[in-house]
Amino acid sequence: MGLITITGAPGSRHEEAARLVAQRLGFELISELRLAALIEEEFGALASLPEKAWPELMTSVLARLATEHHLVVCAEGAEWLFEQFPGLLRVQVVAPEARRIGVLMIERRLERPTARELLRRLEAEARIRRRRRFGRSVQRAEGFDLVINTERLEPEQAAEIVAAAAAARAIAEQGYLSAAAEAHLQFQVRLKLSRYGIAPAGKLSFKPRRFSHPSEEIFANLLDFYRVAWEYEPRTFPLQWDRNGNVIESFTPDFYLPQFDLYVELTTMKQSLVTKKNRKIKLLRQIYPDVNIQVFYQKDFENLIFKYGLGRPPGPPARSSRPPASEPAAAERR
Amino acid sequence: MNKVPFPEIERILFTEEQIEKRIREVAAEISARYRDGNLKLVGVLKGAVFFLTALARAISIPLKIDFLSISSFSTRPSAPGVVRIAKDLDESIEGEDVLLVEDIVDTGFTARYLLQTLAARGPNSLAICTLLDRTPRRIVQVPVEFRCFEIPDRFVIGFGLDYRQLYRNLGYIAVIKPDRDSLPFAL
Repeated sequence: MGLITITGAPGSRHEEAARLVAQRLGFELISELRLAALIEEEFGALASLPEKAWPELMTSVLARLATEHHLVVCAEGAEWLFEQFPGLLRVQVVAPEARRIGVLMIERRLERPTARELLRRLEAEARIRRRRRFGRSVQRAEGFDLVINTERLEPEQAAEIVAAAAAARAIAEQGYLSAAAEAHLQFQVRLKLSRYGIAPAGKLSFKPRRFSHPSEEIFANLLDFYRVAWEYEPRTFPLQWDRNGNVIESFTPDFYLPQFDLYVELTTMKQSLVTKKNRKIKLLRQIYPDVNIQVFYQKDFENLIFKYGLGRPPGPPARSSRPPASEPAAAERR
Repeated sequence: MNKVPFPEIERILFTEEQIEKRIREVAAEISARYRDGNLKLVGVLKGAVFFLTALARAISIPLKIDFLSISSFSTRPSAPGVVRIAKDLDESIEGEDVLLVEDIVDTGFTARYLLQTLAARGPNSLAICTLLDRTPRRIVQVPVEFRCFEIPDRFVIGFGLDYRQLYRNLGYIAVIKPDRDSLPFAL
């Protein structure tokens, strides 16, 4: 199997690099958030799972996925798994503290002292989490195949270097993990998990990313273009429950942008359905006041589309030679 | 209601006089803010050219100007690509008070990318000045220090803003009515 792990300290922009590597090589990207959702799907609520079981939980989920895909895993501790497999490339992204503080300042809109404080807190939390989950808190350089300093490199350049290393190691030429190898791994992993009283439901299925509307794909491409990390429909919010506590109404926003802790919903449908959706979004904001959600209505999205030149302009066609809407001739800058 | 000179224009949003007056006001704020600084206006090609030149002429303190441009978004699903600097600055901005001059800030994607890129080059300060600020469409929050006008979520042209490279030369800013039938998918 081809497995590239890309990890880094907060503010090193390793998530952006990981997404670009996955895009460039055509690998599936497994982010921290996506991994957590998959673990939850297979093993139950994260709060009920002991931290010590984390390596086995990760291994089980990733082994299943690796039977059908090459993977870029951007999740803490991933470099410590699968060490015996030949198709593994472990990448660490580092950057000086000043650079990382600068990244946090821009991404979170913070003043420098607050960003510095946040960075220290995030680093301390990561150290504690790594110790609890993997029994070690330090990531030594010799534990990686490649260490990239992004002080002077943009994430795209870092991604180029990783792609070159992957080519040199022929990572993409590895076959997917065989069913036999996966079964062997799962047996070992589940034996260990049984010590914690964890029994997998065996329902994990890896759904290839399929957008339910062409507008979503355009939006996803736009996010990719601007190097904005995104998750597609990663979380469903229960909105109403029956007397027995069963969920009878829920809402799943289209996108989640982890860098900004923001959900985005695209609403490009009939007005009658918009009213229903608006009611759900209002309910979501009441029940989950800490959740940030931005709704794009039809007109908003139309104008966004026109901005990027994907639609035909108004007015007489003789005034300009317009390519068809499907042509890649969009003028991003105005 | 202002008379519209082209049939595809729905209405004029800001006249030449309104734009000129507002630019003078913003230029006065900038002149006061950077009085003791080392101001450099960085314009983002092509849309900001008209605004930057008008703004620069109205600012009363010494300043430098420079330009950059970024790559275009492609709709090809197989190769969406990523944003990159297509034309870089001619000179270093280290130690300078950089004011990024934009024609319009809406989603915030472009501004965020440019702020990140410029922040890594050691300027003394970094801020945004935009002709138009379309906050209803903001996805990424970026700090906009100076703005001439906030506008509703309508497609606008003129004073540097184009539709497929047309209309930049209009001295006013106008709303153009989108043609829903031309969208690449059914809404």
